[in-house]
Amino acid sequence: MNLEDDLRAALRREPAPPDFTAKVMRRTRVVSIWHRPVTLAIAAAIAAVAILPPAYEYRQHQRALEAKDQLIAALSITQTQLQHTKQKLLQNTRHRQ
Amino acid sequence: MKIALLMLAATVPVVAQQTFDFKSLEKLGAKAKDSTNISLEGDTLKMAAGLFGEDKDAAFVKNLKAVHVHAYEFEKEGQYNQADLSAVRAYVKSLNWAKILDVKEDGEFTEMYGQAPHDNQPGGFAIITAEPKEVTVIFISGSLKLSDLSKLQNLGVPDVTGSRSSKKPEDSKKD
Repeated sequence: MNLEDDLRAALRREPAPPDFTAKVMRRTRVVSIWHRPVTLAIAAAIAAVAILPPAYEYRQHQRALEAKDQLIAALSITQTQLQHTKQKLLQNTRHRQ
Repeated sequence: MKIALLMLAATVPVVAQQTFDFKSLEKLGAKAKDSTNISLEGDTLKMAAGLFGEDKDAAFVKNLKAVHVHAYEFEKEGQYNQADLSAVRAYVKSLNWAKILDVKEDGEFTEMYGQAPHDNQPGGFAIITAEPKEVTVIFISGSLKLSDLSKLQNLGVPDVTGSRSSKKPEDSKKD
């Protein structure tokens, strides 16, 4: 008889704790694919691949334009300096004559 | 060991003369009222040359290896030290470029050096000018004919050869 009592006591219906449902739901919740860190990392990488090269190319083009302007200015100054040197040389030569 | 150190010490100045930091010239212009600092070489120069496309008048640009232009204009005399030019003069001399012009008068001087021609192409040149209120260092390495410079007008550069005062572009490039 003791065995029956023990079984009855062991199998008696007990109410679930108040937070039981919440705990179960928390454990079984499926994380959306869009909220997984791996997915977010892949999305960020794709965005970077899409955005960075055009931005880099734009920056390079700007640098090239700047360099072109500087080159033209440098050659222009060189041309003027050569002319100035030539004049100086002519003056010097005339002076000696 | 001492001999090795002495040999090393003897080698260092030779190696040091093979390169020159043109940016070091910028200290010359510390008190300048107008200054232009342009240093183009390597990839930057290639990028700039690339933008001229197939323009025949600008084809010569592709033959340039380095372009350094440092020009300073001062308000008063004595605002720069001519001794600060000794390093660049020593560097150009170390390249064994031929001195093709040397004018000295009244405390000012102009020196011009020419790079030896290579493969029947003219070399570059260097001009170092020191005047009381003006100092200019131009160093162009690569291949450049003087006649190429006259093609600049075809590239949209105004002819300023007659006017010394308009030598510098309005927006002086300060690196």
